Amino acid sequence: MEERLWNHCENTLTPSSNVADKPLSLQTLASVSSLITNPSTSDPTIFAIFQTLTSSLQLSHDPLLLRHLLKLLSDLAVHRPHLSHLVFNSVRAHSLLSTDSTRLAAESLSVLASVAEHDRTLVSAMDELDGDLFVSLCFRPCVSVRSWLLSNADRFRVRPYLLLTVMLGFTKDPYPNVRRVALDGLVKLSKSIVCDDRGVIEGCYCRAVELLHDMEGCVRAAAIRAVSGWGQMLIVSNQDGDKTYWSDALFVQLCSMVRDMSMEVRVEAFEALGMVKMVSDDILLQTLSKKVLVILKEKKSLGHCTSKQFEISASSAAGAFVHGLEDEFYEVRRSACYSMRTFPILSDEFAGEALNLLMDMLNDDSMVVRLQALETMHHMATCDCLKVQETHMHMFLGTLVDSDTLIRSAARKILRVMKLPNLEMFKSYIDGLIKNLEIYPQDEVDVFSVLFNIGRNHGKFAACIVQEVSQEIDPRGEKLSFNSVKVAAWLVLAISASLSHDQHSCNIPPRIYSYAVTLLGRISRALSDVMNPNTLLTYLSLCSRSTSSSDTEFRKEESFLPVIKGDIPTYASIEMISYSGVPLRQISDAPSEIHSQKMWEPRELVETQFLEYQPELHDEVVTKYMKLIPANIEGVWPLIQSGCMVEVLRTFRSCKDELTTFTTDSHGSAGALAFMLQYIRVVKLLAKVWVHFLPERKVCSYGMGELHLLLGKLDRSLREMRYRFMGLSKEEELHVLELILLSCILRLSKVEVCCHHATLKKLSYYNFTCRISM
Amino acid sequence: MGKGSCSTAACTWAISITAATPISLSSPNLEISIMPSPASSSLIFTWTMLGLFPTLRKFVGIAGPIYMTYPTKALAPLMLEDYRKVMVERMGEQEQFTSDHIVECMKKVIAVDIKQTVQVDKDLQIRAYYAGHVLGAAMFYAKVGDSAIVYTGDYNMTPDRHLGAAQIDRLQLDLVITESTYATTVRDSKYAREREFLKAVHKCVAGGGKVLIPTFALGRAQELCILLDDYWERMNLKIPIYFSAGLTIQANMYYKMLISWTSQKVKQTYASRNAFDFKNVSSFDRSLINAPGPCVLFATPGMISGGFSLEVFKQWAPSELNLVTLPGYCVAGTIGHKLMSGKPTQIVLDKDTRIDVRCQIHQLSFSPHTDAKGIMDLVKFLSPKHVILVHGEKPKMAFLKGRIQSELGIQCYDPANNDTVCIPSTHYVKAGASNAFIQSSLNPNFKFSKTIPKDKTHLVLKDTMTMSRLLVSDERVDEGILVMEKSKKAKVINQDELLPMLGKSKHEVRFAYCCPVHIGNSEGTKTLSKNRLPISDNHSWLHMVFAKLSSELAGESIQDLGEHLQVESFHVSVCLKDNCPYKTADNPKKKSEAVFFCCKWSVADEKLAWKVISFMENLDLSSI
Repeated sequence: MEERLWNHCENTLTPSSNVADKPLSLQTLASVSSLITNPSTSDPTIFAIFQTLTSSLQLSHDPLLLRHLLKLLSDLAVHRPHLSHLVFNSVRAHSLLSTDSTRLAAESLSVLASVAEHDRTLVSAMDELDGDLFVSLCFRPCVSVRSWLLSNADRFRVRPYLLLTVMLGFTKDPYPNVRRVALDGLVKLSKSIVCDDRGVIEGCYCRAVELLHDMEGCVRAAAIRAVSGWGQMLIVSNQDGDKTYWSDALFVQLCSMVRDMSMEVRVEAFEALGMVKMVSDDILLQTLSKKVLVILKEKKSLGHCTSKQFEISASSAAGAFVHGLEDEFYEVRRSACYSMRTFPILSDEFAGEALNLLMDMLNDDSMVVRLQALETMHHMATCDCLKVQETHMHMFLGTLVDSDTLIRSAARKILRVMKLPNLEMFKSYIDGLIKNLEIYPQDEVDVFSVLFNIGRNHGKFAACIVQEVSQEIDPRGEKLSFNSVKVAAWLVLAISASLSHDQHSCNIPPRIYSYAVTLLGRISRALSDVMNPNTLLTYLSLCSRSTSSSDTEFRKEESFLPVIKGDIPTYASIEMISYSGVPLRQISDAPSEIHSQKMWEPRELVETQFLEYQPELHDEVVTKYMKLIPANIEGVWPLIQSGCMVEVLRTFRSCKDELTTFTTDSHGSAGALAFMLQYIRVVKLLAKVWVHFLPERKVCSYGMGELHLLLGKLDRSLREMRYRFMGLSKEEELHVLELILLSCILRLSKVEVCCHHATLKKLSYYNFTCRISM
Repeated sequence: MGKGSCSTAACTWAISITAATPISLSSPNLEISIMPSPASSSLIFTWTMLGLFPTLRKFVGIAGPIYMTYPTKALAPLMLEDYRKVMVERMGEQEQFTSDHIVECMKKVIAVDIKQTVQVDKDLQIRAYYAGHVLGAAMFYAKVGDSAIVYTGDYNMTPDRHLGAAQIDRLQLDLVITESTYATTVRDSKYAREREFLKAVHKCVAGGGKVLIPTFALGRAQELCILLDDYWERMNLKIPIYFSAGLTIQANMYYKMLISWTSQKVKQTYASRNAFDFKNVSSFDRSLINAPGPCVLFATPGMISGGFSLEVFKQWAPSELNLVTLPGYCVAGTIGHKLMSGKPTQIVLDKDTRIDVRCQIHQLSFSPHTDAKGIMDLVKFLSPKHVILVHGEKPKMAFLKGRIQSELGIQCYDPANNDTVCIPSTHYVKAGASNAFIQSSLNPNFKFSKTIPKDKTHLVLKDTMTMSRLLVSDERVDEGILVMEKSKKAKVINQDELLPMLGKSKHEVRFAYCCPVHIGNSEGTKTLSKNRLPISDNHSWLHMVFAKLSSELAGESIQDLGEHLQVESFHVSVCLKDNCPYKTADNPKKKSEAVFFCCKWSVADEKLAWKVISFMENLDLSSI
């Protein structure tokens, strides 16, 4: 079949018949193409195809046919990697690159680039081509090719500085599309290029600023991106004092674009505004008022230096955010809400006024906008600059009973981290949550969990409320009203109050806890991220027994509860962090990092109630043994390296056994023992993972899936080590971090690409925490 | 009617300015209709011009077509008829036009769509842009020949609940004529006002009161109704909202049909629900005026100047439970105006009727007009060459005019009624282009240069002073030369073509200077006769200069071409003439001690030349 097809094709393709008169039919080309793509086509045929294609490439003059041939050749190179060198060389050698037809030349260049992309060994050959060809093609009159080349410039490995001048030059092009593409190219370059020349940076920035007034909307949008990108570079390239000036200039420049008539431009402008890292207070405040503020009126021009480009009066910043928030298009409103999140940290006054505006956005008709407004508020709350006032309550509580699930959960997310100044507010939030619960029973788990959270954060208020309502909780007559969600909510509050950081919860009547026992299932399901049902039950029965609710007593017992039972089933802290803490994606942007760290503190404290690692209390024996174990493990390492897993595991098991004997003997150092057990567990897992990385040894039973599982376990255990223990010395903590690093590296080196992103994020986060802890 | 004509021979705008709407009695409101020259008598119609109806009969006489947007065309007869009725039946004025006139007039109307370009006649081109304000409001772009203007009519730069904000392209304009109703007001976000309004209404109905909302039929009624309907929905309120029968209900119907002229939100929800299908709204019946229980009622006219809203007001005003919301602006003399100015306890309607006013009053300034910032923003965006402000109060307009001129640097006018304003307009000259020029224009030809900022203020910053910014310029167009020959069309040619075209050869200006170089009083020179060096020596002198120069000018490439040295266009050769015309007379050096070198250079290398010469003059070859 293959041969028949080929013979047929060859007859029509061979130069002699081809050149004569009849043009190549599409059918022939299609069958050649199918031969190329079919993996079972034999090598000789493929080679024959290659030769025929190359020779007809040289002989043919029909541009249409040439383009088809180029396409086939590039297919050939992609499907048959061993031919890629030949294809590359033959296309390069061919005169097409210097042909009169710009389009053909560009296409041959494109073929070369795509072949080189598939075959790394050709990259150097591609580099030899240099930017000259690229540039000369750009300078030809054909506009479509020019814009195509510019938008794909990164494929052709042009030297950055050459590319920069080309891009900058083409921002002068009379064709708007070319200008847009050139600006986008400049944006890309601003991310990658290392440039110390102030003149160049300022040149690019100014050119982009000029294009902010282009006639075409798409060019203006691209110009905003470029202004933002090069503006950031300009800020970086300046000394401290001038940084503020340039940053302000950039901010005001971008503000002047928020009144553009094109929706895309406005969206782009707000996105760029959100990326500015620092702005002067008075300019920020000006963005929230359409009237020009007196302070700025006096200060006619910004800062101390004015050149014509930057002489932008402060009035262009007037009401920028207000305009954005009342825009007709939800895309713009959302973008404006989003970009506002950066600035509350910079100015308290701004935070207050911005919150007023954001609260009004909760009245917006678009769900997306309301959600973004809530998320911005959440961000403000995590930065500790969310100061909710009485006047906002009406609006905010409304979101708790919004018909949209996402809105409700976003509102609750804010409540988790909010600090409330007084009891009245606390009360109205609790009422709001209960109303939420009554209307939407499906939210129960999350509402309880939020109640528990805010109860713990505001123990005093929670205790007050529980006392007030304790009469209502008490059964009327014979029947308990436990079906009422209200009662369940109050019970959760009572539990949280007793576990709160501040000790105001002593006067909650103990019988309330005994009622709570009857609702154990519901409550424990909601609190599963904090404690397991058994712990909860023990705790509740303890509280209800003693008349003077002795949670302090409980804490002592509690401190070894999980260890004695040997169950650490829920990995409380870990899940809690990923569940309610800062979403990991936030970690990448710098200003939020510090604050997200802040948020975690209370949670780490929570854990210390359960487990405390107190080195100073160690029995001497234990201490000695503790020192022995790491040495032991050091000895085990060569065994792991050589892959003797049976022995390794045996050693670990004996270590563990010995440790458990200590546990029963001495209560005092439970924390230290738990730490050691965890350590052994981690090393064991590491050993198991290591097997997969040993060379030569192919253990068939270990599939990729298992490695994945093991890595997951290792990850969890490591996180537990990191977050469950307090009072670790610096070396110990470093060691844990090293282990985490190792596990990340292992994951990166083996597991599929899809995990890379998450792992890298994690790494960047740990990188950050390491720096903090150093 | 005044006529302002803006000149150049090619086109004439006839701008007619009329004292406008019967509603705005107090201020010198100006309305403009655009009629491009008496030659073609067609009329572009913007919403504000409904106020022109007293002059309607004149328009009936116009031969040409009348252009309106689709919603305007649909709603205009309705409004006209209503207006006629009010004037004739209620106010008892003399009938200025009849129903037949309206029908007659509407026959001439041609509808245009947003951004549709209409070629009215050979010269005039018009295009409508969305203006917000009310349903169907449009700004018109008009172009005659090369001069172009935008007439805004009324517009709104911030969207409201049912209409979008004005939207226009960036255009090359000679003139923008903009309304300036709120020339000095800057409004803050309307969200706060909405919240206040909702709170007041909610409080009133929750207390069992009735709410009267007098409105104009179009725009504000729908705006407030959407707001209330949404709120009712969210808060799950069951209290009835009524629309007074007639016009408003009919207008709602038109809104439903003309959904494409509303805001993004209304358009997007249209698929699931038409935003003008108010869930909680029903039509009002007279018998319901005194029905028990709370309700909300929308009634016309807006300023309680008569009609149904006055009727209801009479009934409801005496109860303190009730609420009346007033629009932001009421004409003096109306009840609305009386209520706004102070808090009267009694309103005297006529001799026999006095109304006790005990109800609450809430003033609500939702205005569909743009504020001062909006006007500035629009003018800034369009950046026309001239601006004319109309439709506003004189002192405020003067203030805005000052701002436009000082902040935006655009010439601005605020003509009074009957004033004539002359605006120079653009006139393009068409020129042909030679092939070579077109070819050269197709190829990019950009150049980079560094500039040292001349701005003195830069000196403040130490490092900006030394900094030079990279500039880019595309010189394709610079290379063209405009050639205008007698009795021939102007033509742009490439600079290379000029000489052959003129049949002339190229002249070049060169400078020359005969430069003496000191050779000292050495023995060798003394023996020479007539101060003339043998040729071989000439070469050696030249060589010596060459050696010196090449060590001095390391950066330049100096070539020794035997007879002369060359740097760029700078030539040096030994001068063999005794009386070389380039020798300067007052040469201090004795002839015997110097060798003369003739230097020649072209203008471009002047700097370099003088550098070399000054070096050579200070050179002492004797020391070698």
